[in-house]
Amino acid sequence: MSAPPLLSARGLTKRFGGLVAVDGVDFDVFAGEILGLIGPNGAGKTTTFNLIAGAFAPTSGTLDFEGKPIHGLGPHEVAGRGIMRTFQHNMPFAGMSLIDNVLVGCHRRMQSGLAALVMGSRRAAAEEEKARRRAAELIGFVGLGDVADTPVVNLSFGQGRLLEVARGLAGEPRLMLFDEPAAGLTPAEAERLSDIIRGIAKRGIAVLLIEHDMRFLLPLAERVIVLNFGRKIADGTPDAIRRDPAVVEAYLGEASTIGAGEEAARA
Amino acid sequence: MSDILELLVSAASSGCIYGLVALSYLVMIRPTGIINFAVGEWAAVGLFAAFFLLTNRWLPLPYALALIAAVAFTGLIGWGTQRIAVRPLVEKGAPILGPILALLGMLAIFRESISLIFGPDPHNLPAPFGLRQVSLGPFAGTPRDFFIIGCTAAVFVGVWLFFERTVWGKAFEAVALNRKAAALMGINLRRVTVAAFVGGAAIAGFAGVLYSLTAPRDFLMGLPLAVQGFSALVVGGVGRVEGAILGGMILALAEQLTARYADQIGIPSGMSLGVPFLLMIVFLLARPTGLLRPKEAAA
Repeated sequence: MSAPPLLSARGLTKRFGGLVAVDGVDFDVFAGEILGLIGPNGAGKTTTFNLIAGAFAPTSGTLDFEGKPIHGLGPHEVAGRGIMRTFQHNMPFAGMSLIDNVLVGCHRRMQSGLAALVMGSRRAAAEEEKARRRAAELIGFVGLGDVADTPVVNLSFGQGRLLEVARGLAGEPRLMLFDEPAAGLTPAEAERLSDIIRGIAKRGIAVLLIEHDMRFLLPLAERVIVLNFGRKIADGTPDAIRRDPAVVEAYLGEASTIGAGEEAARA
Repeated sequence: MSDILELLVSAASSGCIYGLVALSYLVMIRPTGIINFAVGEWAAVGLFAAFFLLTNRWLPLPYALALIAAVAFTGLIGWGTQRIAVRPLVEKGAPILGPILALLGMLAIFRESISLIFGPDPHNLPAPFGLRQVSLGPFAGTPRDFFIIGCTAAVFVGVWLFFERTVWGKAFEAVALNRKAAALMGINLRRVTVAAFVGGAAIAGFAGVLYSLTAPRDFLMGLPLAVQGFSALVVGGVGRVEGAILGGMILALAEQLTARYADQIGIPSGMSLGVPFLLMIVFLLARPTGLLRPKEAAA
């Protein structure tokens, strides 16, 4: 790819006491691609994810997003730059309706400040209206149109996952992070989610997925990065990854997981 | 009968003030979880600021302007209060009790500063209206009562619209429901905290200005008002904006009924001072979520 990467990590390292969870990892994410991040348990996937999302700062190394450093920024600042995430365990704002949850995600894109709103500025009001339309549109995009006004506590787990996706998209991200999005979904729901993720990438948004379920990930991802013991051991197309001896060795004992995927481990 | 209608109007106007104080607590508790007992002192700041702006000999302001400026000044004081007593503690990871105690310290500072500047005597805002009775349908009261009720209704409608109808309001609520997820949605927790304290202080300051219309007040007015507002909040529930005004009305009605009728059944009327505590205890035991349950509990 000739375009500059959207996100690039160089020498990314995170130590927790004596444990090196992520050890000098380099990788790039390009606009509009679907990139998978896999590895055996404890390989450093979730830590890498949290470093990108700003949950904690790297011990050393850099993360550049659209050419500007983002390592060391807090979660709301990272989100403010245009990186949104979904959670492995759904984290809806219980007590709000579905559409209100998505509206919270729109917060990032509101140009008018609180003061303008309180003063009753016309621009602020127009923006509110736009946010509301956008939230409704996104709920339609993920296929939750029928339940838009439902309190989120009444949603099924799979619907809750789709809500997370809509809420993330509401912030008009350039990069969406998915933390094991297929975990806990039925095969039909996972299939729906795959289509939605492809639709997101078509909008030009980069997608970075952590996933244990290879049946879900390998047909979906265009490129896969494999971590093991905190280091990157492979970076290539799903087909290349499947045949890579280092990857097969890392997954020894879980070999069927990376192979045909019948025993796909679910976290 | 006209007696009871008159009592209703007067109870409604004190209920409005308690409701505003409860609302001030609420807009801070919702996103931050911090119970700020200095709201009563903020009310006093608003009142004395208005008094100063109206009566100073250099530049006495017209009535409406003075009230607005006093409320804005109290908002500024709210910003300073959170900057000194809340933000440093929250950012150092102090438990929620830290800022609550620091705010109690601020309470004492405000109270003593007011007594140093204005002295210990009661002050009264010059009344903008006469004290004649006016009637609105079957309800009779002073213009002052109707002014308080109207202003309070406007504030509550505004705050309700903010929480229910705007993305910013949803962001406030999201922070209350799940701080971590809210931050990851790009919500700046620091800015929400600032907005909550500035808004809470402005509401408290407005309550203080209205409060002074009912009787002269001295520098000690804050704490009893803070207790009454808190009782109203406990009665009405923290989850809903409407709860604050409902709680305020119930509390004021209970107080006025005790004050007016208690001695006829052999209870000294001074007991009305204990009514807020009594109501608070009863509600904490019987209905800890308040009368209006938060929506997630209702769903």
